Amino acid sequence: MGGGVSRALLVCVLWGVLSACGLSAGGAPGDETSQASASDVGESPALADVAPLDDVRDWEGEVTAYADTPVDPVAEDPEPELPVTVTDAQGTKVTVEDTSRVLALDVYGTLSRTVYELGLGDRLVGRDISTDLPEAADLPLVTQNGHELNAEAILGLDPTVLITDTSLGPWDAVLQVRDAGIPVVVVDSHRGLDNVGDLIHDVADALGVPAQGDALAQRTQRQVDDVTSQIAEVAPADEGQRLRTVFLYVRGQSGVYYMFGEGSGADSLIDAIGAYDVAEEIGWNGMKPLTDEGLIAAQPDLVLMMTGGLESAGGVDGLLERLPALAETPAGQHRRFVAMEDSQILGFGPVTASVLEALAVATYAPAALTGGEG
Amino acid sequence: VTAAVVDHQRAGIRALGARVGLLGGLAIALAVSLVLAAGHGQLDIPPSEVLGSLLHKLGLDLGPVPSHPQGESTLWQVRFPRVVMAALAGAALATAGALMQGVFGNPLAEPGVVGVSAGAAVAAATAIVFELTFAGTWTVALCAFVGGLVTTMLVYFMSRDGGRTEVVTLVLTGIAVNAVAGAALAFLMFLGDTQAREEIVFWQLGSLNGSRWEQVVVVLPMVAVGIGAALVLAPKLDLLALGDRAARHVGVDVERLRMSVIVVVALLTAAAVAFCGIISFVGLVVPHLIRLLAGPGHRLLVPASALGGAVLLVLADLWARTLVAYADLPIGMLTALVGGPFFFWLIRRARRTSGGWA
Repeated sequence: MGGGVSRALLVCVLWGVLSACGLSAGGAPGDETSQASASDVGESPALADVAPLDDVRDWEGEVTAYADTPVDPVAEDPEPELPVTVTDAQGTKVTVEDTSRVLALDVYGTLSRTVYELGLGDRLVGRDISTDLPEAADLPLVTQNGHELNAEAILGLDPTVLITDTSLGPWDAVLQVRDAGIPVVVVDSHRGLDNVGDLIHDVADALGVPAQGDALAQRTQRQVDDVTSQIAEVAPADEGQRLRTVFLYVRGQSGVYYMFGEGSGADSLIDAIGAYDVAEEIGWNGMKPLTDEGLIAAQPDLVLMMTGGLESAGGVDGLLERLPALAETPAGQHRRFVAMEDSQILGFGPVTASVLEALAVATYAPAALTGGEG
Repeated sequence: VTAAVVDHQRAGIRALGARVGLLGGLAIALAVSLVLAAGHGQLDIPPSEVLGSLLHKLGLDLGPVPSHPQGESTLWQVRFPRVVMAALAGAALATAGALMQGVFGNPLAEPGVVGVSAGAAVAAATAIVFELTFAGTWTVALCAFVGGLVTTMLVYFMSRDGGRTEVVTLVLTGIAVNAVAGAALAFLMFLGDTQAREEIVFWQLGSLNGSRWEQVVVVLPMVAVGIGAALVLAPKLDLLALGDRAARHVGVDVERLRMSVIVVVALLTAAAVAFCGIISFVGLVVPHLIRLLAGPGHRLLVPASALGGAVLLVLADLWARTLVAYADLPIGMLTALVGGPFFFWLIRRARRTSGGWA
């Protein structure tokens, strides 16, 4: 595996280990608790409609960002041109002859979301745990045990094609599905702003709907460009004035604190919302455990987190109590935390623009989400 | 005199009968559990269709074939290799346990407990992290063998003193070896990329999920050679039980025997660990249960343990993969859940019978 292939994997491993140890109170993305919290919030004001803070640092308190992203397919039940032969991310030549029963599985639910947006959602026969759309609620859950795959369960759904990446395992289970004669298309497991379009094209090509893929990729890029230019108006122009931001991955209350750096997807997220990427400053690569002193040295103004992760740590109070180093940073002192649904925040894909907009609102106009002044 | 000879013959016949009865019973149990395991899984295929699929593969046009569109390929690509792998790994681990207990003269010796499994896992993880492929699909298994061999020797030399291995020394050596191996695994996880990390985590938990024929082809000859060698060595282990001197007097080359057993233990442990991860306590529970039934003689213990281990792991894996829909329980967790309390009971018993911590 190349370096860029499987950054999302660590998350999967952590979820796997922690759920196996029974520590994962908040659970994996899309579980009961985080779904409940998501529906509690329920609204996502547009960035254009809210009044940004005069001073980006003038805010006290945590905010939950929520991107309301109903499925909006680019086409109604498009007719795939089949058979199609693609070369996947691992260089395997795969011929797809039938797309009547599709499985699209990855750790963030990005691939199945892409299938829905391509207009082929009714062909999905199963879902991963991060795919928590109402449309997918009736589909059998293939990755029940955290993020582990079981070839027999997958084959039981009789898929005609499986699209996945290397973020779910064991890898041998994917190979077993291929051994059984099911075409398996492996896409890049990296998620970030830089490959949103490529990933959409890969999925669309494998399903024989390249035209819809072009349309979706263009639409997504247009939306992202639109949101980015809006963000540029509210974010401080001077880099020195931008909010020093870190992405913390926290699970449970036993001291699992990871900072996500270059190549994790968090880096492009922080850049895109016009914040200052502390991880980039200190040359932090991938996903690594963070030391207390490293956190104090980083002096973040703002901490991005996953909702489920924050809940599992006992909320902001629990987190500050267990991680005193965090209290020694501006973000901790002002409780400047922005949490977002585990399955949304690093998923990118067709909903990237909505995620960026929701994060930007939570960062620059938090009053719009909490309904009051800080 | 004649009466004594007749008695002796009768005893011999009785022993032979018991031997045939136990091995036959276990063989039948294995056959039944294999059929049971092959007939159950996440994909619902009725036993009649499983049998039909098997018969068709053998060229007999009998019985129904699987009606599920993916039934046939699921059986042959997913379920059968997994069931076969479970049987092989169980047989290997239980045989390795029986051999170790014999050569250490210690009831608590077991590949998982004394750290041989962990040592093999470290070597195999090294192969994964540094992406070694010098021997193709055999690379990981080969590394596991070398790691297991080194660890077994290390445990053997560190825990022996004055010709015997004390219970407490062995257990403490196991703790030390497991600690070092755990540290090495942690370091390898730190070094490795995320893909390698994931594989190491799956391993530590032990799982038969994802067993493929390619892997069975590697494991099968290792287990076959290992169990074959174990059967050859078994009678000599009975002599070794009399003590080193007595064994030497009847013509056993004690040191050579010990070394041979260690190599066989490493081979069997590596076979199980290479693709299934650390599945502990099988080598402890099975030989002890067999001893309760059939006494300590290795001639019977070794083959019976192999069969019993296969039965145990096939059934445990059946449970692990069917208990929760769409999910696999880590089998290492299941065996440890049962084996842990058993280990505790053995320690208590060993302490009582030896009159203290001997």
